Amino acid sequence: MIQGRISRFLVQRLIILLAGNFVLLAVIGFLIKDGGSFAQVLARAGPNVAPTVLAALGLTGIIFTGAIDLSIASIIVVAGTVFGILVSHGANPSICYVACFLTAWCLALLNGCLIGVLKIPSIIITLAGLAFYRGLALILADLAVPGFSGNISVQDEAYHAPGKLYSGRILLAVLVVAGLWEAFAKSPRRWLALGNSEEACRLAGLHTGKILRNAFFVGGIFLGLAALIFVTRVQSVEPARMALGFELQVIGAVVLGGTNIFGGEGSYAGSVLGAFFLYFLLELLIYAGVSPYFQEVVTGAMIIGVIGLDCGLHRQRKMLEELT
Amino acid sequence: MRRWLLPAILLLELMLFTIIGGPAFHSFSEFVGYFRNYFGDILAQSAPVLLLGLGMTLILMTAGIDLSVGSMVALIACVMASFPGRYDFWWTAVPAGLALALGLGLANGILVALLDIPPIIATLGTMILYRGLCYVTMGDLEKAPFMDVPGYEWLGQFSGAAIMVILAFAGAGQFFHRSRWRREILMLGGNRIAARYAGIPVIRRICQVYMAMGFFAFLAALCFTARNSSVSASSLSGLELHVIVAVVLGGTRVQGGAGSLMGTFFGVLILAVLDEGLRGAAAWGDQHLPFKISHLQYLLLGALLIAGVWLNTKSWGHGSCTPNRKQGDQ
Repeated sequence: MIQGRISRFLVQRLIILLAGNFVLLAVIGFLIKDGGSFAQVLARAGPNVAPTVLAALGLTGIIFTGAIDLSIASIIVVAGTVFGILVSHGANPSICYVACFLTAWCLALLNGCLIGVLKIPSIIITLAGLAFYRGLALILADLAVPGFSGNISVQDEAYHAPGKLYSGRILLAVLVVAGLWEAFAKSPRRWLALGNSEEACRLAGLHTGKILRNAFFVGGIFLGLAALIFVTRVQSVEPARMALGFELQVIGAVVLGGTNIFGGEGSYAGSVLGAFFLYFLLELLIYAGVSPYFQEVVTGAMIIGVIGLDCGLHRQRKMLEELT
Repeated sequence: MRRWLLPAILLLELMLFTIIGGPAFHSFSEFVGYFRNYFGDILAQSAPVLLLGLGMTLILMTAGIDLSVGSMVALIACVMASFPGRYDFWWTAVPAGLALALGLGLANGILVALLDIPPIIATLGTMILYRGLCYVTMGDLEKAPFMDVPGYEWLGQFSGAAIMVILAFAGAGQFFHRSRWRREILMLGGNRIAARYAGIPVIRRICQVYMAMGFFAFLAALCFTARNSSVSASSLSGLELHVIVAVVLGGTRVQGGAGSLMGTFFGVLILAVLDEGLRGAAAWGDQHLPFKISHLQYLLLGALLIAGVWLNTKSWGHGSCTPNRKQGDQ
């Protein structure tokens, strides 16, 4: 079942990433001094990496179709601001969580619809969204929070349940569901088909606009969960600075996982492994006592290295495809 | 259609902001004086974005994109800042910066052309990498040797910045307009395989374009450091977005194969006037609006971008919006 569903090239990438993850973990285990335990590293990894993994899952489905969403960080900020506004008005925690989730979901869906309606490349729409939603969050906060001065403080522990208590469990549940969904559902296959050739999809009688909206719809669910966990982990919501650069981290994880940025090829499992790989890499640097200034250098070099190696190796195949 | 649309938006913005935030004029000479200062300021302030926009237009024409410009400028500035600010700055730090800039550009070009990595991913990687290198060179420090260098300040004032921008635009425009090089990179962006069959040295052209971006990043770093006088590892983050919005607003297609330098010029000015105008209108906004008017900037940026691109696709059929189509091939 699974074998027919992903290409040899993707299997290669998955094996490399899996091995990479184990190597990183082994080195971390080797480096741990007394006082820290290996179990702790593993237990901490789940909750810490949860927002990235969930957002990466959402984005993976979207990238399958050949679209992209650059505005995910800004969407999370809007969701966070809505959450903060409700908290500052003393709403019931569960209402806050639902509102946060729904905001992110609806905005992702809005992106999908706009791409279909305006017929503009998704990269432009979501680039605009990146700026627009952040502005929207700031203005919402200005309007709805009395005496807003840059951040909305959420100190009450009652509002931190999904991020601090249940994030690991949510992540596990979503991973199981997503794995089954990818293995057995039809939708991801349709997204991949759309990413491979829009023309062929249309000629085969598929409704391309509907498939695209569907991808953003499902992606929005993952993104909503990511927003919920991201927002409830922090003590204060700061619309101007929150989640800056988060989208790059997520895109990095997705492309590291072997998903083709132009669509038509990829896997959920790869994105998850990619996100964990980047996380463990940074963790390793911390345990190895490398100066924190080198973190970004190593992350960037790793993304370029893995993908560059991969593209370089498959260059001949691509050239041959061009000829046909 | 594009030709009058961008200046029209610019004029509209200017009128709006002058009415809201500008002073009351009593005579014509006062009016002229105000706008002379105003444009001097705007030009000096947006010189880095203008220069980078120039390079980005070239790159978008080849169907590429460069997300690393912000980090690149910051890294060049950081490296130049680690030289002592004496008179020999001119023949140590400046050539070093130039060499570094060309090297960084070439690195991007090699990743994109030789290794065939999709440009958006390659430059995403280098964006993170170059920013990391900024932190490695600077740490948490903020350095400011630039003002001790004799003659450096002049670059940041209106005259210096304007001369640089005008030189870059005029030089690039004149050389560019009828050159075979331009048509080759446009063709490369339109259809890379066809370009290869037509005997265009694709890899070399792409490397050249990314190196040109490096060169403009160097000029932008000069303008930026001369105006701001200090630099830290985190300065200029998010600049790439600003540049891309300006260029796309100016009518360059992200899918490659079309673009104009004049459009970029207007795109950058529109954003700069918007920025400046909202800052000037702060007092008016505090009185009349329930939110901070500066926050409106993001909303307008997003809306302008979508509106600009949408109009661009609308007028696509007439063939009037792309200079390369209009002139045809001689």
